[in-house]
Amino acid sequence: MKVNEVPQDDTTYYQGEKRACYALNKDGKYVIVPSSGWSAEEVVNGLAVAELAAKLEETRQEVLNGLKSSLAYHMEFRQMTPDILAKTAGMSGFRVHRHFRPEVFNRLKSTVLERYARALALSVEELKSVPDKSGGGRDTK
Amino acid sequence: MNSEITAGGKPFIHHHSAHCESGVTASLFRDHGFNISEALVFGIGSGIFFGHLFFVKIVGLPITTFRSQPGAVFRKAGKRLGAKFVTMRFRSPQKGMDELRRALKEGKIVGLTTNIYWLSYFPNRFRFQFNGHNLIALREIEGGFRVSDPVLEHPVDCLADDLERARFAHGPLEPHGFMYYPASVPKYPDIKKACIKGMKDTCNMMLRIPIPIFGVRGIRFLAKRIKNSPQKLGFDDACRHLGNIVRMQEEIGTGGAGFRFMYAAFLQEAGELFASGELAQLSQEMTVIGDLWREFAVVSARIIKQRGQSDDTFDKIYGLLMECAAREEALFKKLKIVAGKLKK
Repeated sequence: MKVNEVPQDDTTYYQGEKRACYALNKDGKYVIVPSSGWSAEEVVNGLAVAELAAKLEETRQEVLNGLKSSLAYHMEFRQMTPDILAKTAGMSGFRVHRHFRPEVFNRLKSTVLERYARALALSVEELKSVPDKSGGGRDTK
Repeated sequence: MNSEITAGGKPFIHHHSAHCESGVTASLFRDHGFNISEALVFGIGSGIFFGHLFFVKIVGLPITTFRSQPGAVFRKAGKRLGAKFVTMRFRSPQKGMDELRRALKEGKIVGLTTNIYWLSYFPNRFRFQFNGHNLIALREIEGGFRVSDPVLEHPVDCLADDLERARFAHGPLEPHGFMYYPASVPKYPDIKKACIKGMKDTCNMMLRIPIPIFGVRGIRFLAKRIKNSPQKLGFDDACRHLGNIVRMQEEIGTGGAGFRFMYAAFLQEAGELFASGELAQLSQEMTVIGDLWREFAVVSARIIKQRGQSDDTFDKIYGLLMECAAREEALFKKLKIVAGKLKK
């Protein structure tokens, strides 16, 4: 890759950041060139993001329909798996899975809720509900 | 804008790097008065690699890695250059943060292993649960720390809460608050010897691991899997898998083509160091391989975007990857011979 071939496609998702790329300058020497993004990369990133968003929305609907607890939504929102969430909250995996059932989740003691809230960097209030709009409030923390 | 002052009053110059780990290691060396480039650290630490771990899955998609496991570059480069590091892991986050503050107060700059999801200074789309991101804490500021993240262009502020979460995140490869700083760096390290060692190690990793999912054989393995994926998984799922490979190659810190270019930069620098024309030649070949990997990304992106409407097929990708494998195999075989002949 030569310096003038370093992609400068100004992709929006870099949010003004730049990535370092190694490229050859005119004298055939390697130098570091900041890149503002690459459209090929944006395609695959878009695919991955869309997939995550679709899954999250699906879970949100399930929560609204009373099939899952809001804990499941917030776990996915933080891109965690039940296993990671269990470790972070200091809970057994079995219990976490059980807490995905709304009727179990609604009966939880406040101490348990607080542990989840801390693990997910949310307030207990936020933990108990899901946003009304899909994609609303995408990560504020 | 890129020069900073550490808590000890020493100036620190932030270098924009292509890879977090080699960037951090190089910065730590430089802080101790040993001027070394990122590419050199990357080569000495044998950072380049390939592996397709089809059985380890993140969100249902297999991992493809283009680098050695996290922590290896730092460990190997430190060892080969004869530097001693203080490394620490913690059970309790509180202790981990206290120790960090103490080390910073002493005027040290400290390398940290973190989970990238909790570092909120990153653009949102880069944030995902990955526990192998490295950065340097420079000094404590109000409510947080000044950090030099080598992947970003400039030093940034990081909230204390963010950093604590990032250092003590759970999941695969838990960092346990891993922190490290040099205890001693030799004044005149034997760079040449370290380079030779790094090259030989890389050749062995790429050519001689007897498991067919690593090294050059791993690339062929992946090529075959991609070729068969449309029949096996259906077109949409095959695209998902392909997209994930490209994503791991280009965007997530595991960089594929980018690492090939960085290795080419290493070979070029080593070529000057040894005054070896052969290494310079190999550097050029590596550049060609990097370009080939980029073409793989472009073609893949086209397939994904056009949903099979274009002339590009999975067979074409198969061909590209097989060529990458053939060229890399030839290159590392040559490098092995060249490295054996180099004088220490």
